[in-house]
Amino acid sequence: MMIGSKVDYDISNLYIPKDSKEDIDYQKSFNATLTIIVRDKDGKVIRRHKQKSHSPTANFIGLMLPATWYNTTGKTFTLTSTSNSTYNYAPYGPNIMYGINYPNSNSNQQTYLINIMVGSGSNSNPYSAINLASPISNGSGTGQLLYMTPNIPTGITINDNQAYFITSQSFINQSGGTVNITEVGIVINLGIHDSANYQDFTASVLTWYDVLSSPISVGSGQSIVIYYTFSVNA
Amino acid sequence: MLIQNEIPKEDLDYILEPFKEEDNKEKNNKQIISEKIIAIIRDAKGNIIDKREQKMRSLTQYFLALMSIPIIGTYSNASSTTATGVLSNVLGLPSQVSSAGNALINFDTSIQLGSGIQSFTPTLNSLSAPITNGTGTGQLIYYTSSVSYTNNSISILIIVSNSSGNTINVSEIGLIGTIYIGYWSGAYYTNNYSYLFSYDTFSTPISIPNGGVATFQIIITFSG
Repeated sequence: MMIGSKVDYDISNLYIPKDSKEDIDYQKSFNATLTIIVRDKDGKVIRRHKQKSHSPTANFIGLMLPATWYNTTGKTFTLTSTSNSTYNYAPYGPNIMYGINYPNSNSNQQTYLINIMVGSGSNSNPYSAINLASPISNGSGTGQLLYMTPNIPTGITINDNQAYFITSQSFINQSGGTVNITEVGIVINLGIHDSANYQDFTASVLTWYDVLSSPISVGSGQSIVIYYTFSVNA
Repeated sequence: MLIQNEIPKEDLDYILEPFKEEDNKEKNNKQIISEKIIAIIRDAKGNIIDKREQKMRSLTQYFLALMSIPIIGTYSNASSTTATGVLSNVLGLPSQVSSAGNALINFDTSIQLGSGIQSFTPTLNSLSAPITNGTGTGQLIYYTSSVSYTNNSISILIIVSNSSGNTINVSEIGLIGTIYIGYWSGAYYTNNYSYLFSYDTFSTPISIPNGGVATFQIIITFSG
């Protein structure tokens, strides 16, 4: 059986045929949308904003690498927290499995969505962003917004050939002045452990980041809801 | 105030409303993830007899559920000890593992080929007619899958050879995902859960002659 140098060439050069046909009816199979609804103090919608969301961060991509890559290369992926601490992630060791914390009756180092963070700055390279450029803190002081508890989906909704889930969070402006939002990101509390119950890494990690195509102004007494919609479709 | 999992209808209608053409077309067309399938087929002498490249169209809800982990985590909330509904309801993973040590989750991928064809739905969980591993009639030998990572691209590759004695026609390809949940409870245990992460068909079947070898790659590129 011929499993030799020619196949090795195909692999090592990631050979892409030049004369192959592109499908003309291709549609994007994965989409993410960022929607923001602004309401006045009476709950009346006063502005709606929607844009395509584009930017998984390097942290996200590292967490999406299959175990085979770690096993066969022996490499690690450097995860970086919002406070710039790092961890060399490798979900498999020589004898035991490593990975992200999964719900356990004895565990208290959860991996969960902390916040859909909002900010007033802008990172030029979303891929390498580890935090928002200028996070808006939680509170009712000047320049602050009250962060409500994030809502996470209970499942995935199927609509014909589309499947999607939505996660959202509300914010209220009790600062007494207008607060402008220019950037949004998803921050999770990431817990990674080995199987001997040794905690390796628990930190806030930015996994998704977007700069708004136009700023959102939230007046005093107003509230907003930010929705992230993630979908796949045929 | 937004109540947990209750989205006002006026908000939901707007969220699900398709983008208008004038809504910044260039930015809207930028892909977050682009997927590609490459196949190279050689005969018994090592000569290339066919080569294909096509966009991958069809990620399933199971891949979307996997992607939910870096987005919403594995726990329902900060004080919870139960899994998100996406993990338990869509992937069928346990709501909670009871063990003395921490429980962990990770995953792996591989490629499966098939000789059938079927319509895609996001809930599809298998190929129409999977080609099994072996040297018997209608079988292909699957060699070890490999994964490479460069910049923003993850490439999953499989090499297959045909020792069945006859030509094998490949008309469908799937990315198979296996999710592992491991935990320590006096000893180390791992439970495996398998899913179809993507499904695609070839516009014309790929023929692998007896004695031939083929490489199939699925490349997932994140925009970053």
